[in-house]
Amino acid sequence: MHYVIIGNGVAGINAANQLRKRDETSSITIISKESDHFFSRTALMYVLCGQMSPSDVEPYPRDHYQRMNFTRVRDEVVALSPSETSLKLSSGETIQYDRLLIASGSMARSAGWPGEELDGVGNFVTWQNLEWLTEKSRTAKKAVVVGGGLIGIEVAETLLAAGIEVTFLIREKWFWPIAMDQNEGLMIIDHMRHHGCNVRLQTEVKKIISQEEKVTGVEIGDGEIVDCDIVVATIGVVPQTGWLVESGIELDKSGGIVVGDHLETNLPNIWAAGDCTSVVWFNGIRRPEQLWYTSRDQGRIVGLNMSGDKRVYKRSTFYNSAKLFDIEYTTAGYVNFNFEGEQNWYHREPDTNRTTRITYLPDGSVTGFNMLGRRWDHRILVDWVDEKRQLDWVLQNLHIANFDEEFFPSFKIDTQALKSGVV
Amino acid sequence: MQAGLLQTYNNSAQRRGAGAWIIASLLFAFYILIYFTEAFTPVAHAIGLSGKWNLYGILYTIAILSGGLYFFKRHGNSRYHRYRTISVMLVQTVFAFSIPWFMELMQTRGFIFSLFWPLKIDYFYPSYIMEYPLPVILYAILGSLIIVPIATFLFGKRWYCSWVCGCGGLAETAGEPFRHLSNKKPGAWKFEQISIHTVMLLALITSAIVLINWGLGKEVNGVMVPMYPAFSTVVFKIQGIYSFFVVALLSGVFGVALYPILGSRVWCRFFCPLAAYMGLIQKLGRFRVTVKDDMCISCGNCSTYCEMGIDVRMYAQNNIDVKRASCVGCGMCAHVCPRGVLKLENKWDPNPMAEESKIKVFDL
Repeated sequence: MHYVIIGNGVAGINAANQLRKRDETSSITIISKESDHFFSRTALMYVLCGQMSPSDVEPYPRDHYQRMNFTRVRDEVVALSPSETSLKLSSGETIQYDRLLIASGSMARSAGWPGEELDGVGNFVTWQNLEWLTEKSRTAKKAVVVGGGLIGIEVAETLLAAGIEVTFLIREKWFWPIAMDQNEGLMIIDHMRHHGCNVRLQTEVKKIISQEEKVTGVEIGDGEIVDCDIVVATIGVVPQTGWLVESGIELDKSGGIVVGDHLETNLPNIWAAGDCTSVVWFNGIRRPEQLWYTSRDQGRIVGLNMSGDKRVYKRSTFYNSAKLFDIEYTTAGYVNFNFEGEQNWYHREPDTNRTTRITYLPDGSVTGFNMLGRRWDHRILVDWVDEKRQLDWVLQNLHIANFDEEFFPSFKIDTQALKSGVV
Repeated sequence: MQAGLLQTYNNSAQRRGAGAWIIASLLFAFYILIYFTEAFTPVAHAIGLSGKWNLYGILYTIAILSGGLYFFKRHGNSRYHRYRTISVMLVQTVFAFSIPWFMELMQTRGFIFSLFWPLKIDYFYPSYIMEYPLPVILYAILGSLIIVPIATFLFGKRWYCSWVCGCGGLAETAGEPFRHLSNKKPGAWKFEQISIHTVMLLALITSAIVLINWGLGKEVNGVMVPMYPAFSTVVFKIQGIYSFFVVALLSGVFGVALYPILGSRVWCRFFCPLAAYMGLIQKLGRFRVTVKDDMCISCGNCSTYCEMGIDVRMYAQNNIDVKRASCVGCGMCAHVCPRGVLKLENKWDPNPMAEESKIKVFDL
């Protein structure tokens, strides 16, 4: 049996590991155009800012591929021919497979600005992006970061730390509206400004200004020009599936590979996992889940299924975490789905950047938690959402789920004020 | 990100560049001179000190205090780190420096209350310890045999290694710029298991035969005389060998001079007999680094900044709590984790040696 895995990211490598656990003899080939070694994509910023070395972000020892007997191919797959069960590589070679996993991940969304193709404009998604930005940040004096999400704030933070003047352009009214409400998003923006980041809200790029192929600025909505040497576009990612359009694999309108419960595609002996995959969410809507955790879980399950299991991939209750500059962020449950009649319980600890937001339904059952400035045990919060705990009970017991470092100022809510609901 | 750690890898002295080798050579030369020559004695006399070890004590304390301030700049945003750094700075200034100094001014031999056997092996050498008053003798013995194991069982070895100890204190402060240089490879873990337990065994044997030799002595005209002179000669030789190789070379010369090459905890990780002793108790005790399931993004900040070379990420991405004998509980893994996955805790574990709570050199 020859297993072929396209993609050396978290989904691909987890699938390969599971396959090898199940099957010690079959040959397993991993094809990647990006890197020889699996690395943590979420750690790219730490390499950029010199906090970690490139090899520090590799989760497995360097000899992992030898020990597991994985064959690596560094090339780009340009076409899939299901009828011939083969893949065509950009070098012109073809590779035959018995069972194929597509874990080609996602790529930066194209912004479509005039001048986007200039060398001073780029993204921060791939290892090659990291190399590009590392090089550019040595000489750049001013940078524009576009896109009010997680990668954007990470890039802004890192470039600021490198002594570069950063202007952060956000299209929406506050930072990261798919995760934050107005209170939270504006608090983060205050924090960014406090760190010297020039944030511009409700601002979009019209075009890139350049002189002799060198970026000199961006023109924003009202014709104003913001000077800069580099532009980093962090306006989201899309499934990397353009090479599959002719293959007969079913793609959804976002380009995600449509898979069934077992992460199988519409074609025989082909599975898909990770960012390139479109799955059905808890609310019945099909779309890609572009998260580290879901890619990892999908990789593990698809590996088992490719070796003969029939495991169902079911997305468990949502959780995520991040660090926004130095503000910890944990979310659990469904805070941004606007259920009917949903209400917010919101509390900001005085004179801090520590906030608690709990969403709940008219019957009092909690649906989600959005927490900033503290660490929380998402396992407990997820359980409470699953158990449909009442808001009153949750508020009384919230300290149980606290996960702060020892000696961190303890979590207390004034119970008197709590009853009135206006803490 | 942790503001203090930015640009770590962009500084040549912090990634084993030329600067690192220059610092290491200077430290090496300094330690050779201070341990094996009298080169610093005139310097000490010139500034009014009684000997080279007083000079060393002052320099050591300055290194911890200034390194502590540097540490504050890097990690002062965390209370855990503030408290333990203040603790090591205070312990060094008060217990390791001022009190012995004061005792010497009072014409008694200085005693360091913050050291314990077998790190300070002399405390179980009768010829050394019997010169102190009875309360001090009791403190040295009970401290090493009762306080150390109980405190370690309750809080992990961190109560000592990263809150009290002078060696650890130097590593946590002046050694801070080099913490990421510890070797994370499985081979280093294997070497550590052999080397540290070997030194512990040597410390045990040396202490035991010194005690036996003392027990075999007889008093003639108020002077202790060995009953078996040939045995005593061997004992003194072993004592001398231990003191040369372990105390001078490993803890002094290599322990500190290798900071810029192998990280700040070379002595503590590979050789310290007290660390080995507490490590065994820690495995059975309450302390662990709790891992929040399925939240790890495998970024590797924890492993990178573990000064003991523990591949914390391997535990975190496999949802296994970290219970390692070598962990000194510095808390840096939890502190630098961008997803708040790790937490240092003391809690009862009904079955500390359970199979699922162990990880072998690596798992998938």
